[in-house]
Amino acid sequence: MKTQITSMAANLPLVLAVALFAVFAVGLDNFASPQNTYANLQSFALLGLITLGLSMTMLVGEFDLSVGSMVAVAGLITLKVGGDDLVTGALVAMAFAFVVGTLNALVFVWLRLSSLVVTVGTMIALSGFAYWLAGGKIISTDNFDAGAFWDDAILGIFSARSLLTILAFIVMAGILKFTRLGRDMVATGSSTHAARACGVSIGRVHLFAFVLSSLCAGLAGVLLSISLATASATMGSNLLLQAVSAAIIGGVALAGGIGKPSGVFFGVLILTILNNGLSLLGASSAAILLTNGLLLLVVVVIDGKSGALLQIVRSKGLTRQA
Amino acid sequence: MTSVIGDLIKQSVQGDRIQVNGIKAVSLLLIIWGYFSVENFLTPANLSAIMYSVSAIGIAAVGMAFITLSGNLFMLSMAATAALSTIVFASTLHFGLPVALLSVSVLGILIGSIQGLVVGAARVNPIIATIAVASIVMGIGSYISGGMTVIGKGDASWLGIGKFASLVPNQLVIFLAFAIAANYWVERTRFGRELRLIGLNPITAAYSGIRVPRTLVIAFVVAGFSAALAGGLFASQASQGNLKMAAGLDFDAIAAVLVAGISIRGGQGKIIDAVYGAIFLALIGNLLLVHGLSFEIQLMVKGAVVVLAVIVAALIARGKVR
Repeated sequence: MKTQITSMAANLPLVLAVALFAVFAVGLDNFASPQNTYANLQSFALLGLITLGLSMTMLVGEFDLSVGSMVAVAGLITLKVGGDDLVTGALVAMAFAFVVGTLNALVFVWLRLSSLVVTVGTMIALSGFAYWLAGGKIISTDNFDAGAFWDDAILGIFSARSLLTILAFIVMAGILKFTRLGRDMVATGSSTHAARACGVSIGRVHLFAFVLSSLCAGLAGVLLSISLATASATMGSNLLLQAVSAAIIGGVALAGGIGKPSGVFFGVLILTILNNGLSLLGASSAAILLTNGLLLLVVVVIDGKSGALLQIVRSKGLTRQA
Repeated sequence: MTSVIGDLIKQSVQGDRIQVNGIKAVSLLLIIWGYFSVENFLTPANLSAIMYSVSAIGIAAVGMAFITLSGNLFMLSMAATAALSTIVFASTLHFGLPVALLSVSVLGILIGSIQGLVVGAARVNPIIATIAVASIVMGIGSYISGGMTVIGKGDASWLGIGKFASLVPNQLVIFLAFAIAANYWVERTRFGRELRLIGLNPITAAYSGIRVPRTLVIAFVVAGFSAALAGGLFASQASQGNLKMAAGLDFDAIAAVLVAGISIRGGQGKIIDAVYGAIFLALIGNLLLVHGLSFEIQLMVKGAVVVLAVIVAALIARGKVR
């Protein structure tokens, strides 16, 4: 019984993504064209990386609110430090993301605070830093070769950027499935106390999740700025909102311990397809923002209800029978 | 006499009052430093500027304090609510100032009660729920205004630039009256005690027969109302409204609550503390401004102050546990 429910829940994102794609493909003329599929995968590449990192912090039962502003800061650093030498810029940006992720984890582990509180602070500080870096301007570069490398179409619908994002999902799925660290992450998210009692180093798990989240958001920002050849302080806005929605739709529980990269993959696809379909239908950016907000509100309410259900299942010992 | 002063000092550094008393002392030092380091710091013009900058943010901080005290961390929809409120204020101003204020109040109560129901009754994570509501509200706002500035066709000068006894801005009078009334409500009534107990431990509170959903809905209604009122104050200054006007209000309100030492774990601290936090931050903002530092530097300093305050508060809490 329990396995049936879980497998249904695990396949729900896939089914929804396919259904949504089918509806738009039938209803809209150009939706399934290679050009639009390429465009969809480009949006997927951006949101996918951010959501993958964020969902790992959710999996261990925490939350990283700073991913949105990290995108802007990483993009700005890439172009500002790098100028035309984008490799140097990208390396500096990634090093910065690494430091921020480490600090996030260290501060909340050391102070035994909710990671929400610490990352609210990081979110504010990073967006201030982004405004300072940008100085009210849009930063640009004359190096278009790198952008061409990352964005040139491969097999008609892919690009190096979207293939890298897909690879990141596969690697993360492998880490969760085959390494001790991955199992420790799931254990920590399910029950921190039980995991600690079993000898899991909670601090190390949290550190890994937050560094990963920061690096993913940083990489997304670096690649976005290279691809656009511009960066601004506001380019990460609304991404946090979409990433949370995509992660929850992808089956990641806010309470921790539940979630798979495969589910997140389809969660991100659902959101990407939905927003693309809406804008092809002529919806304004205001309407899309409103839809995304409503969607998030609906999915968190469902997440809360299913969390309550799960607790009942656990407390009655039903999980052990499965 | 000396023992009285000694007792007073002893009391003020004891327990959970230490941080807010520290903020009061530092604020005093900032005023003294400002007097000696900046020409014209204590002139009526600059004092009036500080009073205007503290009023709207202070009202929002008082509202935020209800959320933090109830153990629900923060409301991240205040800036959005205030932004929509500036537009509603400007669009209804031609019916007169009372109607405009009534309209924004109804708006704030409505937006607050939706979040109260979602968080208080459906027990959804408050941060995620309020982020979702923020984007819905911003979506509605940009749909109504089309991203443009709405010019109010009416007279809002009583609220915008009017002064009580031609000395104190009416905005400041409203802010202080609101803060004192809110503080009395929480310190002296059944609602306030219930709010605090829910913040300390919601599960125990529910088992003890405390009206948890009802109390939380009221707390969110107060916070939504105060955000909308802050928006009304912003809009009245130039009789116009746009979506960018209240940007940063969430952060300012959170910063005021955190630096004043209202515990993010809920239940500890007083509403009036948020007022001292807001005054402290307004002083810092003003001093940075008159020293010629840019808006971006001000943002970064505020972020750093918040992080510092969180660390100090956590260290104080850890010290108490030992």
